[in-house]
Amino acid sequence: MGPWFQRMLWGAALALGCVAVASAETTLTLWSHEADEAAKVAWAETAAKKFEQANPGVTVKMTWYQKEALNAALKAALRAGQGPDILYTEPDQTEYIENGFLLPLNDLINWNNVEPWAREAWTVDGKVYGLAKEAYTIELYYNKDWLKKLGVTLPPTGQFTQAQFLDVVKKAAAAGMTPIAQGVGDRPFPGAYLTHEALLKKLGKADYGKLLAGKLSWKDPRVVEVFTWVKQLVDAGAYPKSFATLKLGESHYYFHTKPGALMFPMGAFYTGRAFVPPDKGGQPENFPLGVMQFAAMDGGACNNCKSLLAGGSFSINANSKNPKLAGALLNTMATPEMGTLWLTTVLLQTGIKSDPSKVSGKYAGYFRELSERNKNAEYFMGSPRNLLKGQCAETYVQVVNTAFPGGLLPVDKALEMVNQACYKG
Amino acid sequence: MPETPAVPRTLSAPTAVAVAEPRVGRQIRGGPPQAPWGAIMVYLTPALLVYAAFTIYPVALTFYNSFHVIKPRGVEQYVGWANFVTLFTQDPTFWKAVRNTMVWATVAPTADVGTGLVLALCLYAKVPFARFFRVAWFTPVLISYVVVGILWMWIYNYDWGIANLLLRSVGLGAWVHSWIGDPRTALGALIFAHAWKWAGFNMVVCLAALFALPAEVLEAAELDNCGWLRKLVYIIIPMLRATLLNLLILAFVGKMKVFDLVWIMTRGGPLWSTETVSTYVYKRAFEWNTFDLGYPSAVAAVWFVVVLAFVIGLTWLFRQRERLEY
Repeated sequence: MGPWFQRMLWGAALALGCVAVASAETTLTLWSHEADEAAKVAWAETAAKKFEQANPGVTVKMTWYQKEALNAALKAALRAGQGPDILYTEPDQTEYIENGFLLPLNDLINWNNVEPWAREAWTVDGKVYGLAKEAYTIELYYNKDWLKKLGVTLPPTGQFTQAQFLDVVKKAAAAGMTPIAQGVGDRPFPGAYLTHEALLKKLGKADYGKLLAGKLSWKDPRVVEVFTWVKQLVDAGAYPKSFATLKLGESHYYFHTKPGALMFPMGAFYTGRAFVPPDKGGQPENFPLGVMQFAAMDGGACNNCKSLLAGGSFSINANSKNPKLAGALLNTMATPEMGTLWLTTVLLQTGIKSDPSKVSGKYAGYFRELSERNKNAEYFMGSPRNLLKGQCAETYVQVVNTAFPGGLLPVDKALEMVNQACYKG
Repeated sequence: MPETPAVPRTLSAPTAVAVAEPRVGRQIRGGPPQAPWGAIMVYLTPALLVYAAFTIYPVALTFYNSFHVIKPRGVEQYVGWANFVTLFTQDPTFWKAVRNTMVWATVAPTADVGTGLVLALCLYAKVPFARFFRVAWFTPVLISYVVVGILWMWIYNYDWGIANLLLRSVGLGAWVHSWIGDPRTALGALIFAHAWKWAGFNMVVCLAALFALPAEVLEAAELDNCGWLRKLVYIIIPMLRATLLNLLILAFVGKMKVFDLVWIMTRGGPLWSTETVSTYVYKRAFEWNTFDLGYPSAVAAVWFVVVLAFVIGLTWLFRQRERLEY
């Protein structure tokens, strides 16, 4: 055997060795929204590190996007039968389930560590498709100092009546305050918060569900009453003039910093943007943040009802080559320790079981108040966003989210448009 | 006495023709010359393949899809003309999008080309700082739509946008407005921003055409005491006619497909007042959460035919006018 031949053999062996090492390495890919929310990124990275330590030879590669960019990338990739092993999802993205893009997680996750309602939010025909790391109620935040300045006292229940609420809005507008900070410049939902929480209280859970399912007319007298009341608020100058173009992030800043507003209807994910240092867009130190109930509707069927939504979740791509490993990574996230870590670092509700008593420091008071406001709440699971589809959803976005609260449509015209698109008779 | 070509008188006629004509192909003895198809195909095939793959195939597939409900994973269901029937009879949003697009495609080219011509005339007349203005006016063409969109969203911002600040500063506070938040002004505001971006392109083309005008005609007009305005109306603009028409057609076709700026600034809102056919196709394909590509393909197919018909029609019309005039 000549030296040349020996060198060839060594080279081949080395090459084969490299291939073998490479094949022993497995990379799990995860694509997620929340690129600009450092606490959420850190939480997921903590889980990934734990998982990598427990599974030598497996690497987790996370790619963080802005929401729209993520959805565009995912839709293109999934259509082509590709995409990451784990993807960020929200329960309203039922089209992923309908088209078979998501793997059922029933046997992959320890569901004892997940809140039953969070599992329910992702259950379709007995199969569970997502792990809801984020959950939120729709809340009405307010500036305690500004309310005092108006000479108004919040009732002990934390809830104004319809008439009282309208009066507060009028007083605020007369005092030169923006009564409600809200903008729909880049989101298809915040403009409808006030209307939909009012509809839920007025109709009760069952009829509100029927309304969103197209089984109750939008011309029902109770719906007309709610829209008429909201129109009174709009006409009283409840929303900023820049309502149509104000973006979600900007509306947070508008509320707590400049120019300031009395109230701010928002998902409880408010904390994700607000509880960061002010130089990163967070609310000012010692901002007098309060949480009140949405107004009680006259003759409301369920004035203690409020919307609860499972938010940002992780699901497994049905085309993943490593479904069990992907499930194991989600299981690493779905533990009470990780749930509590989420609560204490992200400062937001979660679908993973957690221990709220561990939240301490300057935001503990906020969580106590939030807990108080939710003590006797009856929850409606879901939102118009995940229940309305097609032309109805598009009309909801254009009319209920944008044009009606923006003061561009009268009550009858708005209801006519939504009814035509949504009511199935 | 003019020289005559030195053709030997002894040559027979067919041979003489063969010598005089360029040799474009191999001549088979006794037959006509043949094109070198082998070489031609070698040069053409790559371009044809690219054209077929990226233009003909997608267009054909769009037409095919428009007769189906297309779901992911290759699931498709033939529905005949159903998508088209729905489109024409039950889809008010489509008609709003058509109306907005047609308004855009008719108003904006005039604004773009008109502004471009005026700017070009300013430079041609050598206004002070002409070199600076030439660069400044052309710069928006180089900026991406994303930047232009964000820039104009700031300009139109109700609270601190420069448009409203200017109005407030000159005592016209009553005119302060949510320019892109009101259906009455949103489309106009977008068309204005779009014209700002493209005026520079039209200016450069018009300027090149102005400098290419025959100097003797303009000098003759000056000798005849023709004023600047009359010279512009009766000499310059008629001589720029071909350039202006081409710019108008190009602008028209571009506007019929307008998407980027709308998507960035308003996403078709408020109340579909800025919805264009392109944004509607995108919404139906990627935003409606249905994953169906059949219906959006039907919209795209219809609009492809409309745009093609307009382009053919306009080209024919302008040719007819040329024939009449010359």
